[in-house]
Amino acid sequence: MSEEIKTIKVTIDNITIDVAPGTTILQAARQIGGDVTPPAMCYYSKLEGSGGKCRTCLVEVAAGSTADPRPMPKLVASCRTGVMDGMIVKNITSEKVPDARAGVVEFLLLNHPLDCPVCDQAGECHLQDLGYDHGKEATRYQFARRTFKKEDIGPYIQLHMTRCILCYRCTYVADQITNKRVHGVVDRGDHAAISTYISKAIDNDFSGNMIDVCPVGALTDKTFRFKNRVWFTKPVDAHRSCTTPGCCGKATLWLRGDEVFRVTARKDEWGEVQSYDGKTGWICNTCRFETKKTESWTIEGLTAISRHSVIGANKYKTLEMPSETVKKVMNGMNPKLLMDIHSVSGVNKPEIHLSEINGPAHSSDFKK
Amino acid sequence: MARKLLLEKAHVEGIRHYDVYRREGGYRSVEKALKMQPNDIVEEVKKSGLRGRGGAGFPTGMKWSFLAKPDGVPRYLVCNADESEPGTFKDRYLMEFIPHILIEGMIVSSYALGSNTSYIYIRGEYDWVTDILDQAIKEANENGWLGKNIQGSGFDCQIHVQRGAGAYICGEETALLESLEGKRGNPRIKPPFPAVKGLWGCPTVVNNVETLAAVVPIMNEGGEAYASIGVGRSTGTKLISACGNINKPGIYEIDMTISVEEFIYSDEYCGGIPNGKKLKACIPGGSSVPILPANLLLTTAKGEKRLMNYESLSDGGFATGSMMGSGGFIVLDEDQCIVRHTYSLARFYRHESCGQCSPCREGTGWMEKILLNIENGKGSLSDIDLLWDIQRKIEGNTICPLGDAAAWPVAAAIRHFRDEFEWHVNNPEKCLTENYGLRHYADPIHVPV
Repeated sequence: MSEEIKTIKVTIDNITIDVAPGTTILQAARQIGGDVTPPAMCYYSKLEGSGGKCRTCLVEVAAGSTADPRPMPKLVASCRTGVMDGMIVKNITSEKVPDARAGVVEFLLLNHPLDCPVCDQAGECHLQDLGYDHGKEATRYQFARRTFKKEDIGPYIQLHMTRCILCYRCTYVADQITNKRVHGVVDRGDHAAISTYISKAIDNDFSGNMIDVCPVGALTDKTFRFKNRVWFTKPVDAHRSCTTPGCCGKATLWLRGDEVFRVTARKDEWGEVQSYDGKTGWICNTCRFETKKTESWTIEGLTAISRHSVIGANKYKTLEMPSETVKKVMNGMNPKLLMDIHSVSGVNKPEIHLSEINGPAHSSDFKK
Repeated sequence: MARKLLLEKAHVEGIRHYDVYRREGGYRSVEKALKMQPNDIVEEVKKSGLRGRGGAGFPTGMKWSFLAKPDGVPRYLVCNADESEPGTFKDRYLMEFIPHILIEGMIVSSYALGSNTSYIYIRGEYDWVTDILDQAIKEANENGWLGKNIQGSGFDCQIHVQRGAGAYICGEETALLESLEGKRGNPRIKPPFPAVKGLWGCPTVVNNVETLAAVVPIMNEGGEAYASIGVGRSTGTKLISACGNINKPGIYEIDMTISVEEFIYSDEYCGGIPNGKKLKACIPGGSSVPILPANLLLTTAKGEKRLMNYESLSDGGFATGSMMGSGGFIVLDEDQCIVRHTYSLARFYRHESCGQCSPCREGTGWMEKILLNIENGKGSLSDIDLLWDIQRKIEGNTICPLGDAAAWPVAAAIRHFRDEFEWHVNNPEKCLTENYGLRHYADPIHVPV
């Protein structure tokens, strides 16, 4: 064995995949894609240290590794558990996971106001998707929900703490992207709250990215609040040359007619901000909040939206056409008319080749 | 009378001061240890069979041998003195009356682990104990037991005392390290474990006060002599903080061979239950461990006498057993209401949950509200099943053991005292003025799955 082992094998829901060492179970599952991928509310691959908190990504590890094939005693958070060679993971095939996950969804929704009809996040809310996919239809909670007063953090962002699920993502944004930490969590337990340090307004160029990472409607764009529902707006990819250092200038514009209703960073299929050349495509507040004219942007085209999203709703799809097989069956001939012509019919003239007729075939073509 | 190893000299006049402590044979273990190789000390502790006294009961020698030792990286020893488990007050007693034994144990342990800077993270409420420890450290420094080149051995060590700010969660070792670093006391996600990446990202060992103090008699008398006390894997002596409905609450140092019955009823220990009342239930190891009704407390499900040690108390698993835990022995007599008691524990865990992960943050508050309803006669029978389901969904699904600690007392109360919960629901008026008492306390009750 002189050769160095470059990849390790992990089996998730009976699908085996080779991944690089150091990959987490969740990342491996995302490489497989589809239903095998556990949901994640707090984990954000672009934010260091995130994850492990919401517990929606719990999976069962049926075998730890080839070297030590014992199962792990508890369900583990897939976002923070690294894979081992020969690890066998059960997500949707596990008996324990759906029950535990439904429990977590119930816990997350316990103090969530469910004010989706008036919430700007509705339509692109991860908690809605999570509840729809993994939750139960009714709650068993009969007590008053915890509420907070709405709070303005900075000139552009409103914090509605009542909706918050304490994923801590925005505090990591404040820590890792913006240049001063004035944003964090105060208090503890079920009265813990996101807050700015001693009510200081957040004032720096990248604070707006907190809105993008927020999985629910706790942090909303004050320039967009109550202006429109997201599914009525049309997302297009656009770019501009931005002078702010660190801003990638690539964004999604949400249009209605020619009017730009809001600007967000571009997101991938997991709802995370996309990366360009290895750098995460965060955008600055100038692009996000102050550049709301179509003239200022170079529009590249429609944003690809998942067909499952309510925003997609029959409008913007990347439908895959089934591949054309007729040509193969017909030995390379390219028929214009896909009709079985009866051998005794008077119009059937085998010497006239259908593929040589330009346009639809008519009876006149056969009377030559 | 059992042998005392830790508290033998605790009541000698002036033992808090260095001169008296030294005269009574203090710091002998450091003299002995500094002549040994650090690894031999770890081996000695392994031989002693000492198990962590903070609650989990993990073998200390094994924990020490897991410590990563990369070159050029400092290692740390942290003493967990954030004793906040309801019903547990042994560490306070030890630090208050005989502080030098902790300092002595820490010097030996620091030498064994190669830690040149060690910390005592002490519970914020123990402010007067902090002063006592500071004084003891000062005296140890003045007499050459701390600082540079201790007793000419070439080993440097300094101990710092850091006060917490009043959070139960900071007794969890990774939350403690976060707090010690000056951050919000949220538990870290493991792995990596502190033995690999702990304080400031360096390998760290976190031990309880009693564990580190127990290193002193182990060094003085040898690991094998220590292991000969006690029974099975429960070696040495253990401090028990006894409280509740007993005649003589307080700290008792026991060797782990006596029975629970003897501990409660003999005059040497708790001295029985006051006013001729009967024993109803007991939490044998601090508020987090499952409560046991009298019949299961005194004898195991196999019909054997239950002893005060790690194995015997956990005999039968959680279905019919409990845990040694931190040794917070809380006794409840026939006048105590289990529902009210469970509610008060649930309220504690709700208040102390850090709020980082969702099952614990939301679940603890939910359980508290339901228990308050049942206690006030406003509950329904389905609430009892709901409580069972909530605790089941919290247990094992959280980042740190606080979720389990919040779930276990509720689970055990329902498992063993379901009839009392049902009585509360069915007699909403009566439960406000009367207690359920002892009616069925001794009957084994159907265990819901």
